[in-house]
Amino acid sequence: MRIWELMKETLWRREYLWIVHVIWLACYGGFWWLLVPDPEEFGNFLFLWGGVLLPLALSAGIMGDDIASGRICVLVTKPFWSGKLYLYRLLGLSLQGAVHFALAGVLVLVLHVITGKSTMAGVGRWLLSAWLLFNTFAALSTSLSVVVKRAHNSLLLFVATLTLAVVAGMLLHSLQGHVLEPLVTGFFRYPFPPLELLHHLGKGDYTKETLTVGGWQVATSVACVAHSVLLTAVYAGMGILLLTRREFLSQRE
Amino acid sequence: MVAQTDEAPAPANSEPPAVVECERLTKVYRKRLAARSRSVCALREVSLSVRRGQIVGLIGPNGAGKSTLLNLIAGLIVPTEGTITVCGHPARSVKARDGLGYMPEHPAFLGGYSARATLRYHGALLGLPGDALAAEVDKSIQQLQMQDFVDRPCADFSQGMKQRLALGIAMMHDPQILLLDEPSNGLDPVGIIQLRDLLTQLGEAGTAIIISSHRLGELERLTSDYLFMHHGRIVPWTGRTTPGQEGCLRVGLLSGGNEIARTLLPASRVVEASETELLLAVSDPAEVADLVAELARGGARITRVIPQTADIEEVFMRLCQEGT
Repeated sequence: MRIWELMKETLWRREYLWIVHVIWLACYGGFWWLLVPDPEEFGNFLFLWGGVLLPLALSAGIMGDDIASGRICVLVTKPFWSGKLYLYRLLGLSLQGAVHFALAGVLVLVLHVITGKSTMAGVGRWLLSAWLLFNTFAALSTSLSVVVKRAHNSLLLFVATLTLAVVAGMLLHSLQGHVLEPLVTGFFRYPFPPLELLHHLGKGDYTKETLTVGGWQVATSVACVAHSVLLTAVYAGMGILLLTRREFLSQRE
Repeated sequence: MVAQTDEAPAPANSEPPAVVECERLTKVYRKRLAARSRSVCALREVSLSVRRGQIVGLIGPNGAGKSTLLNLIAGLIVPTEGTITVCGHPARSVKARDGLGYMPEHPAFLGGYSARATLRYHGALLGLPGDALAAEVDKSIQQLQMQDFVDRPCADFSQGMKQRLALGIAMMHDPQILLLDEPSNGLDPVGIIQLRDLLTQLGEAGTAIIISSHRLGELERLTSDYLFMHHGRIVPWTGRTTPGQEGCLRVGLLSGGNEIARTLLPASRVVEASETELLLAVSDPAEVADLVAELARGGARITRVIPQTADIEEVFMRLCQEGT
């Protein structure tokens, strides 16, 4: 009951969140219907529109609203570990994302069958990578929301992501062929949201590649999924740590 | 008496067990990125003990430390020094929160949820299973007379409706200790009377209640246990009587008041005297019967006797002035 109420709350805490889902799905449909994209073009759109922007829209103020209104003061006096408050809400977001991408898949399948346009090849892979990216951004945004009041977490994360992408692009461009290039690439590739790795996963670049880890052969796509899940767990861990150690004042902030 | 600033009283064997115990609590708020001089000491070495069934009124001027004390007991903030146990467990622990009900001064709810959905949500967070949850929700609706608005969205609620709902949430699962911050804010007179009756019943059933309120008259009708807070300390009243125990006796007479005051009573007893009325100093309610009998024996024709006790407002003002 507790887990279900906290997960359900992530959809009903603001009255317009279901409308966000509808608008996003309409955009996928419109993109497919009007532009007749090839699977990679559609994948790129799904990846950025659903994987990056959707979690920001859904997680705006997910903790910050409660902190600003003072509602959090009642929630953290309930007899369960406060970390669950974070964990179940993140699971709620993740579930919303899973249902959303499943519906997106059904939608383009229906459009494909009705119109006979384009092809469905690789769409499943794009849906998976978009959902994994959704989870990392949702975790990061929820963690930010523990320390940032109201809905500023999403805006802050959006600006930070754009800034980081620009800085990384400029830096890597200027370091082409330099001895430091692999180091800087690794710095931007692994600890931050795995836009590049999951984009490759969606495109199918890792389908036949394998990695050797401690003498074991591991499919690169599996390693990529594991990395994304691990990052989500680390971002969530930071948020849980912040939430369980934070003090809350009963006055409205 | 529930509190001492330096040492908590040793419990007698017959007393009910303590539900909340605080020892030498100090809370200093430090402004981040600010110099050390920006620190604010909100609470200084406060010790107190609240027992089962006790209703404690927490009063004091703004900034006295009342909300800080409530927040510490609720586990919302951590003391800089000192210890707090709630229901025998350290505050902020899950076991301590199991016996705790908390109602904030400004309750907030999800605007799209109805009162019923909100109660169900909080009941689920308390871990109540399906049948018990439904029964608890219905009980809260009945207890707090929320039938008229239980299915309306919380976004449309008046302050009084929010207060009722917040109280219902705090009382779910019958907590051992209820922390109420200004519970009668926005309630209509009927709501205030119902709240008073409800809290009295809860106290009689063994729930310890700590109420922070500026409505001194309301508190006075509910309890005689007060904590006067000022500048982060509990203002001691050792050696004084509590509100309601000291004061005067107003005695109405047919005639001859001045003569009676001069011949029958010591000067220290007479506060005011006129032909038809005497105002006499009384330090103990037990003195009243003897005093009236003495006046009657001396020939006074008494028309009425009205005890005039010092009320909580007078004591509050006096303690505030002394504290300043």
